[in-house]
Amino acid sequence: MYICVNLWPIFGDLRDSNRSLRLRTLTYLLALGSLSFNSAQAQQTLRWGADPSGGAPYVFNDPNHPDQYIGYEKEMVDALAAAMGRKAEFVPSDWETLVSALQRKSFDVIVNGLEPTADRQKQIQFSKPYYIFQLALTVRKDEQQIHALADCRSRVVGTLGNTAASRLLQKESVPFRGYADPVAAYRDLELKRIDAVLMDVPAEVFYVSKSATLKRAGEPFFRGTYNIGLRKGDDDLKRQVDAAIDKIIRDGTLQRILQKWGLWNDAQAELQTPNRADQQVAGYDITSVSFNWHEAVWRLTRAAAVTVLVAFGSMIIALLLGMPLALGQWKGPRFLSWICTVYVEFFRGTPVLVQLLFLYFGLPAIGLAMPGWLTALVGLGLNYAAYESQVYRAALSAIPRGQWEAAYSLGMSAVLAFRRIILPQAFRIALPPMTNDFVSLFKDTSVAYAISVWELATAYRELANASGQFLLLGVAVSLFYLAMSLPMAHLARQLETRLQRGRAIEAVETEVAG
Amino acid sequence: MIRVTDVIKKANGTRILRGVSFEIQPKTVLGIIGASGSGKTTLLRCLNGLDRIDSGTIDFGAVCLEGKLSQAEYARRLKELRRQVGTVFQHFNLFPHLTVLGNIIEAPVHVLHVPRRKAEDEAYRLLDSVGLKDKARRYPESLSGGEQQRVAIARALAMHPELILFDEPTSALDPKRTARLRALFRGFAEQGQTIVIVSHAIGFLIGLADYLLYMEAGEIVEQGETEKLLNEPVDPRTRDFVQQAENI
Repeated sequence: MYICVNLWPIFGDLRDSNRSLRLRTLTYLLALGSLSFNSAQAQQTLRWGADPSGGAPYVFNDPNHPDQYIGYEKEMVDALAAAMGRKAEFVPSDWETLVSALQRKSFDVIVNGLEPTADRQKQIQFSKPYYIFQLALTVRKDEQQIHALADCRSRVVGTLGNTAASRLLQKESVPFRGYADPVAAYRDLELKRIDAVLMDVPAEVFYVSKSATLKRAGEPFFRGTYNIGLRKGDDDLKRQVDAAIDKIIRDGTLQRILQKWGLWNDAQAELQTPNRADQQVAGYDITSVSFNWHEAVWRLTRAAAVTVLVAFGSMIIALLLGMPLALGQWKGPRFLSWICTVYVEFFRGTPVLVQLLFLYFGLPAIGLAMPGWLTALVGLGLNYAAYESQVYRAALSAIPRGQWEAAYSLGMSAVLAFRRIILPQAFRIALPPMTNDFVSLFKDTSVAYAISVWELATAYRELANASGQFLLLGVAVSLFYLAMSLPMAHLARQLETRLQRGRAIEAVETEVAG
Repeated sequence: MIRVTDVIKKANGTRILRGVSFEIQPKTVLGIIGASGSGKTTLLRCLNGLDRIDSGTIDFGAVCLEGKLSQAEYARRLKELRRQVGTVFQHFNLFPHLTVLGNIIEAPVHVLHVPRRKAEDEAYRLLDSVGLKDKARRYPESLSGGEQQRVAIARALAMHPELILFDEPTSALDPKRTARLRALFRGFAEQGQTIVIVSHAIGFLIGLADYLLYMEAGEIVEQGETEKLLNEPVDPRTRDFVQQAENI
């Protein structure tokens, strides 16, 4: 503001001179301003992105100080930034979208135990490695049959989505389920929803060493490196980062940090020989997956089948449960009516995402551990029952009292009157809003990704993140959704027309006759 | 014979019926007249059990409603009573999702468990008697008011009730249709159907009702044979009402 006010007389003076000069001056001023702003920022901070959710021991919320982040990579980045003469600034992000967030310039570097896979190398570049990791297989303590990955061919193995581990499982044709964070994977293993977990050793050390119910199966195997991810073209920054990595390796800072977190092993010493470390990056291709459209469409089709299953299953629950809820709330005795109202308000008043997380992670505490797809089906069913009950209730109360009275006067019981007279009329009123709800339920199945159900939205996230084909896959996934919801809307319209047809034709005939 | 004794009906603490007693002779037509708010429609709703009486008795011979009965017993007896009483509502209350035929056979098939074929034959016979045989496959909303009323009549008759109640049957009809309805009612009366008609149109009841019952403020002011009540009313309130009705 201050600058503007001071500059104003200059613009005033320029008013009579030619227009292009004025514009050029303005452009210079603006460019100068943004330049100095940028360079001031760049000299001070190193913005780094990682996923702190379940991110121990890499970077995670300090349980003792929940507003602070800790972790060995946090400490390492602080050391790196210090070596570069900058100040580290952590940008909490999401694992699956780290690469695209980097490209959107949400931060300058990715430091999140990132493996330099070939497909990622098409999109971003990598620093030299700072850690050599292995994979460890975890099973329940009472597990007798699984000793190595080869024993898992007919089992389900949990791992993080879109990691070296998941690529390896895919390559070895081991059935696996991708999780958004390690905690959920290990918890599902404890709950017997899966049979084993394959995870990088740092995470495995952190979680399994503290667990009373899990154990390591066989020895750690495989070897890969963690590198820092940078945007292509940020070559200056890459040189600085590489130099800083070299420095903290040589002066022992990194070793101290790793030892503190129990992650130091002899393998790390290799990184001190630069040549070998470089070879490591070059030879690191085995876990890359080239994108195969055939396979992608096949996987999307399977995901669509899960979506259909969850949507239809939960709608059936909603329709069946909605009616007694509506009746209880509408005509039930006071206590029952109150309970139904509490049910409806609870499920309408809290997010369905929270309800699903509660069912998935909360219910096992009382011994009820359902698989993910069933949790989504039941959860969405319970949620939509609350909405359907209100549709029913509105439809039922829209039927004039005279209809009940006419039915009673003809000697019908309340049940018969309801079934034969009230319900058919209410159904017609309820059909359009119910169709509407069903279409929106179809889309709501996408929240199931939160509990690792492999439905369409999850499929999109994983495939798009793995391939970078956000646009094409987005179109494909949208087509899948439309291919499912359009026939349904069409079917509902037909049903409505059929219900009305008799009367519509009558009306036309009468008009013609009249 | 149907005997109504000391019937009291309250709503929100107010007495709508304040001790009503009368008899309905079999195979006669009884007209209940009175101004709006006199309680005549409430009386009708007590006769078919849509409103529960608070005290007194309604004795149909085979079944007797009493104000003092428990809820369950009252409901049980109502079921019996409704087999014997048919109602044609002021607004007919036809079932809009069923055809004319469907409206008529609904209760015989699902309440009396008459075979569908037999119920349909009976329905066509009834529709013929009300002059609507060709409208059997129509839906109620495509019919005129008068036609809807005749469907409602056929629907009530299909249950073969001892007694049939009409609430304001002339309210939606023009004079020509009123005359035709009257002729129809006479036909039923001649066949021996017991009928109660609630109406404020005295003219419609002359020559149709055997007995009249005049109500005011929830009480029966006067009752008797139609000619006698209209020509020589005893109570001044009856006289006023009859005079006003004639002036219109």
